[in-house]
Amino acid sequence: MPTVAPSNAAARVIVVGAGIVGAAIAFFLTRAGVRVTLLDARWPAAGASGASDGAVSVASKRPGPMMALACEARTFYGQWVEQGIMRDIYHPRPTYLFARTDEEVAVIAHQGSDLMELGERILPLTHAELMQRVPGLGRHVLAGMKVPDDGHALGYQVVDRLLQASGAQVLRNTPVQRLALSDDRVVGVVTPAGTLVADRVVVAAGLGSGVLTGLQDILIPRKGQLIVTDRASLTGAALRGPLMSAGYLAAKRRMVLGQSSISLVIDPLATGQFLIGSSRETGFADRQTDVQTVSTLLREAMAVYPALARQRVIRTFAGIRIGTQDGLPIVGRHPTLPGLFIATGMEGDGICLAPVIGAAVADMVRDQPTRFDVSVLDPGRFGELPLRSAE
Amino acid sequence: MNMSDTVALHFYWCSEPVPFRAGETIAAALQRAGRTDVGPAVAGLHGRYFCGIGTCQACLVSIDGASPVEACLTLAQEGMHLAPALLSQLARTPGADA
Amino acid sequence: MTHADVLVIGAGPAGLAAVAELARLGLTSLLVEQRDQVGGAIYRRHAGNGNHVLLLPEHHRRRRDGLMQAYTQAQERVTALTASVFIGVDRDGRFLIDNRRLGRVQSVRSKAVILAVGTVERVLPREGWELPGVVSAGGMQVQFKETGQTPKGKILLAGSGPLLLALAAQLAAAGNPPLAVLERAQPLASAWWQGRAVFNVLRSWPHVQEAALYGRELWRARVPYLTGWQVQSVQTVADGLRIDARHSSGLARQYAVQHLALHDGVLPNMTGLPGAAQSADNCIVYAGDCREVLGADAAIDDGSRAAQQVARFLGQRCDSTPLDQAIAAAQRTQAALAQLFQAAPVAPTANTVVCRCEGLRRSDFDRLQVAGSAHELRLVGRFAMGACQGRFCAHTVSALAHEYGVDFDPAALNGDVPRWPLRPVSLAALAAYSELESVE
Repeated sequence: MPTVAPSNAAARVIVVGAGIVGAAIAFFLTRAGVRVTLLDARWPAAGASGASDGAVSVASKRPGPMMALACEARTFYGQWVEQGIMRDIYHPRPTYLFARTDEEVAVIAHQGSDLMELGERILPLTHAELMQRVPGLGRHVLAGMKVPDDGHALGYQVVDRLLQASGAQVLRNTPVQRLALSDDRVVGVVTPAGTLVADRVVVAAGLGSGVLTGLQDILIPRKGQLIVTDRASLTGAALRGPLMSAGYLAAKRRMVLGQSSISLVIDPLATGQFLIGSSRETGFADRQTDVQTVSTLLREAMAVYPALARQRVIRTFAGIRIGTQDGLPIVGRHPTLPGLFIATGMEGDGICLAPVIGAAVADMVRDQPTRFDVSVLDPGRFGELPLRSAE
Repeated sequence: MNMSDTVALHFYWCSEPVPFRAGETIAAALQRAGRTDVGPAVAGLHGRYFCGIGTCQACLVSIDGASPVEACLTLAQEGMHLAPALLSQLARTPGADA
Repeated sequence: MTHADVLVIGAGPAGLAAVAELARLGLTSLLVEQRDQVGGAIYRRHAGNGNHVLLLPEHHRRRRDGLMQAYTQAQERVTALTASVFIGVDRDGRFLIDNRRLGRVQSVRSKAVILAVGTVERVLPREGWELPGVVSAGGMQVQFKETGQTPKGKILLAGSGPLLLALAAQLAAAGNPPLAVLERAQPLASAWWQGRAVFNVLRSWPHVQEAALYGRELWRARVPYLTGWQVQSVQTVADGLRIDARHSSGLARQYAVQHLALHDGVLPNMTGLPGAAQSADNCIVYAGDCREVLGADAAIDDGSRAAQQVARFLGQRCDSTPLDQAIAAAQRTQAALAQLFQAAPVAPTANTVVCRCEGLRRSDFDRLQVAGSAHELRLVGRFAMGACQGRFCAHTVSALAHEYGVDFDPAALNGDVPRWPLRPVSLAALAAYSELESVE
């Protein structure tokens, strides 16, 4: 092992994982003059970032730090658009929450008051008012709520833009076997192509982060199956914004291993296609879909929006969200290994939160005060996170 | 003699009657009627028969307003009302926002 | 759940041969076919009273008739699900079928499966290939078989491969010979120095007969066979198409026609399909052109052989040696033909449509900046994201990527995880999914 003199200045940084979080971190670091090498075992957006629904949504967040961070993140996307970085990629779009039972009506009302407390605009809607905004809505929808200031961005498009804008060196097909340590400090990473050294290492590798950072037992995969249809017409998005079931809100709070549930979202894409999701299958990390889950999702979707009957399904796929033991992301310095930073566990909120997480981690890596308060996400809350030996 | 010869069978392409023979696909009948263009496709292109085996997805048509099907795989039936697979615009436009 | 012993997908030559052989061995099968009748694209029978019987070499006719007879005898042991499209296998091992008669998706589980789904034609994109009036040679042939009539008006055939000759001869025999056949390669010229290839083709007497049959028709109808020529561009004009053609020497020529048929070879159709596999519990076998392009006659042998492989898996004894030998001979001939018809692919111009489904041209590809993998080209570039799932553009996209130093197998554009549906399926039909109940 070469001995490397530890550097106080973060002049060279390795980011492991070219998903949206890693790409955002690389973006902010290179903007600050840091030399960044971004590695991925496969390629940019190969994981959850490439299999997501694109919601940049405050409407669906849990009240508390997640909702607050989502708000800041959404504002940031707006700034990115103004700066030209996310032009044509991020689109402001209202979210239409809908309820099919009285219980769901209550859930939405509750969410509404939490959102209002944060200063978010909301508009409760009766069935008739929903029908006016969403022509073709099914009869079984009782009521809903419009959240006008939400947005949408396809994860893989955001990643591509961030990589273009950042100028970081991107190494594809470069898996990290383990961290390179010197005097109990992280000085780089070991890959099949050799050891790469750096002043700091950030691990933003989704499930792969576990073995590298001691988080093996903390990270929990949560598979989601999604469906893509063909175009409804040649004139673009069929609806003004996604239809999001109240079940989506409720499911985000529950996490029991082995339990799967369906939380319906009907997302009108700019191409005129629909993206319909999704299941939440805790503990599953395979990326194949099954006909029972897919057909169940479609039956629900058709009941809510019968016009879908005219569409064809052209693709089904599954993305793996990374959940954590306590349901909050893990962002910050490794508790015991100097030079190592972690950013993972976004559990389906990565597209939305990326700018905030990226900026905060870049600040931490450069030993600056973080411009967004992510202290509640600190990895130290899980203990010392010792690395297990390769044996 | 084939019974179907004595009865003229028709389906409609955008309200225009198109004759066909029993057992013929929609694509075959359209071709004999001299219709090669089956409507607008993405990016200003046009749908049309190409591969004949349902693979290229270029010959899609909508029958009686239902989901698009491949004209080359689908048998013509008496009285079908065919239209292009892709609507040029949606039947209903989203309502005003408040 | 169906009670059939074997699931066979595709009722073309290989699939029909498979079920016939399975029946002969005492095994029952469920036969799934996308068209309304068995025969697939190759043995498409014509509807109504089309006037012309397709020009067919004697050995093809004999084998086809023999096969249809064997199938008729096998029918007691075959349940045919027609108008049903195979759309893939899901995570739980369910084979999914889009049953268009019933309007719903059904699933079948089977320990033994034979996939005989045929080929996909390779058509190199040229400017204007996406225009109405331009078809693939196979597509023109299917329509000819179905209607018993040639297309009306002037026809031009272009591309590369023996299929162009067969189609030209068939059109000529039916009274509407093409204006010309433009062949990119120089098969006759290369015959001079491809002695071994020529020898291997000549060893197959049926192929020689077939070539002679087609040659005679083309000679009679005076159809020019122009080697070293390719189509540069196609444009729509008042009463049809205007085609600009070019010879490798630079010579140019124009044609005014109503129909252009393109063909640049056939490829095994493996997009998204599970790999062939045999374990203690499962046997998935591929048969016919989807496994290896060897032509209709060899596909019949391959189907029979696949049936025997499955029979052995299910505990029977049978010897496939004669079939192995016949197929090996076919492989030799096909390899030789491929050598004779070697030609450099046409590089698409900036304006050429590469991904028709998403309306993307070569210029759209060139504009992509950092896409460094098949995944990024698909997701960010949108190539192969459309309804045909890359079947027609994957090779071109892979070749363009290679120009930029990004190398991958065309199949990589479909990702590393087997996905369904293999073909677009009605959302309502999929929502109405049910397991297949047992069939008589």
